[in-house]
Amino acid sequence: MNVSALDQELFAAVIHAMPSDELSPVRNQAANQFSSLGFPTTRDEDWKYTNLSAAAEISNAWLRNRMDAAAATPSLPPPEVARPEILNQMDAHWLIIRNGSIDSSSLAELQNSLGPDIEFSKLSEQTDSTHINIDDPMSAMNAALLIDGLRLQVGANVEVSKPLGILQIDDPSQQASQIRIVIDLGENSRLQVIECALSADSGMQFSNAVTEASLARAATLEFVRIQTRSEQHIGVNRLIASLARDATLRHNAFDFGGALTRNDISVNIAGENAAAHLHGLYLASGKQHIDNHTRVEHRVGPAISNEEYRGVLNGRSRGVFNGQAVVFEGADGTDANQANHNLLLSDHAEIDTKPELEIYADDVKCSHGATVGQLDESSLFYLRSRGLDQDTARHLLTQAFAAGILAKLAVEESRNYLVDILDRRLSEVLDAG
Amino acid sequence: MTNILEVKNLQARIAGNTILNGLDLTVRAGEVHAIMGPNGSGKSTLAQVIAGHADYEVLGGSVTYMGKDLLELEPEERAREGVFLGFQYPVEIPGVNNAYLLKAAVNAKRRHNGQEEIDAFEFLKIARERMALLGMDASFLNRGVNEGFSGGEKKRNEILQMAMLEPTLAILDETDSGLDIDALKAVANGVNALRDPERAIVLVTHYQRLLDYIEPDHVHVLSKGKIIRSGDKTLALELENRGYEWVQEAASA
Repeated sequence: MNVSALDQELFAAVIHAMPSDELSPVRNQAANQFSSLGFPTTRDEDWKYTNLSAAAEISNAWLRNRMDAAAATPSLPPPEVARPEILNQMDAHWLIIRNGSIDSSSLAELQNSLGPDIEFSKLSEQTDSTHINIDDPMSAMNAALLIDGLRLQVGANVEVSKPLGILQIDDPSQQASQIRIVIDLGENSRLQVIECALSADSGMQFSNAVTEASLARAATLEFVRIQTRSEQHIGVNRLIASLARDATLRHNAFDFGGALTRNDISVNIAGENAAAHLHGLYLASGKQHIDNHTRVEHRVGPAISNEEYRGVLNGRSRGVFNGQAVVFEGADGTDANQANHNLLLSDHAEIDTKPELEIYADDVKCSHGATVGQLDESSLFYLRSRGLDQDTARHLLTQAFAAGILAKLAVEESRNYLVDILDRRLSEVLDAG
Repeated sequence: MTNILEVKNLQARIAGNTILNGLDLTVRAGEVHAIMGPNGSGKSTLAQVIAGHADYEVLGGSVTYMGKDLLELEPEERAREGVFLGFQYPVEIPGVNNAYLLKAAVNAKRRHNGQEEIDAFEFLKIARERMALLGMDASFLNRGVNEGFSGGEKKRNEILQMAMLEPTLAILDETDSGLDIDALKAVANGVNALRDPERAIVLVTHYQRLLDYIEPDHVHVLSKGKIIRSGDKTLALELENRGYEWVQEAASA
């Protein structure tokens, strides 16, 4: 058997055993798609550097456990779990997605607190499933094994008063979670989201999340994703966003944890004067692997996209950055900027960075750049000449490098928490080598 | 008077070029020395070697600071022991807060001396006082270190750091270069305020202009990596009138 293949029999059996609900037809169709596509392999250009075979192994173990659990009778009620500490650290209304399913009591709470502003529902209870997007093997797998999925709709002219927090947490080892969040923002509405992904266990886990965001005219979505998964976590995250006229997307991605993380962002600029601001920061040490793929399609102009990702890599860690900006014919007035800056703190760390511009319009302003370097020696000496020891000076300069992304933070309520974990994680990364 | 700094037969090179060729210099407590000389004579190299820059390789000779072998110490240890270098080209470090660096520097030295860390209130009070003396707006505290500062602002910031760290030995490398007259006066005020019987100050400068405002006890002329003439403040005036060639010729005669 190919190492990166799913056990087809188990896959089919688990999907068959899932409760019959509004998602059933979607699951079956997606299962067929995934079965014919399979996991992406390093032979696929888009996955050249990122190997998902461990994700396939974890998924097979999870499928097996799930069949065993279904056979066991009677099924035990899930154990009571303590409220995660993180929920008290940011001022937001929280929804918990635990082991790939929406925590019903947190959803009920959310409906109470944000109910007037946002309409919440589970995709498994929605009759209209046309908005479930499948555009690659991983989003097909996600739809095939999706337990519920969250849909949230913000009406026209509604400004949601407080950020929505989404906590993705996985408890046991050998957990494989599929998470899907579909966001619809009405005209002139505004929503802020803080999404935190973490592991309650240090064992092997796999999560596969898809977020779809549709922004109507003049809508604003500000989204901060903070990933602090455990050392054996494999994470695949996909954001598919579509921006109508005058809409604004601000997205921040902070990847601090995980063994292997792959993020795909795909933004469709479909209306004039739309703006997409994508900022990311990744820190890695040991053998961590972090891969960011972004694609911004400028279908009309004038419109803006600004993108900057920064990475700090130590030890034998590896970073991958691939940023595509495509300016379609007639998308005049496009202003697309893209940058990827990396600090390589060890001789064995590696970054593969590739900005790609495809321009088919005449009147455009596009820039891209990538840098790879070490800490600036003259700055280090300057700080040491003021009495700061080498480690403190290195920490401070690395922090300063990261601060360039924190300066673009889209949701203020996440700042204190982020500054705190960034500081701790930076110390670990610098010490671990 | 205590010898604060004793440099003996110092030879040093950078990138394969020998710059210092047997330099001798003794600086005692309470003194202000001016080291002058044409470009490339080794003035900045001397300053960098004393501060401990790793790019400069010491080939021979010794540097003794307060009875200790200075060359054995890491740059940060030198700073905590009371050595301060005012940079000719202060580095801009965006993202590192100026107040944070000042406080971290003060506390690194305090810890080294077995003192308690400075409390935030006292730190701000002292920093504001010293900034006022230098004609610096308090808003500079909250900016990135030298980030977007003009040439004059950077030099004032160096003097502010010196004023906060209260060094035993301060070496100011071309602190006067690129300053307008107001900035020059402000910087000189800051330096003069720090003159103290327990402290020594070495001014590295190309022009005599600074010495109109900070009166040196000793003036040295550096050429090709050696001190070729020493004297009192009148030597600086003579150099201003007659140029460096005159001393160089006299030395080689």
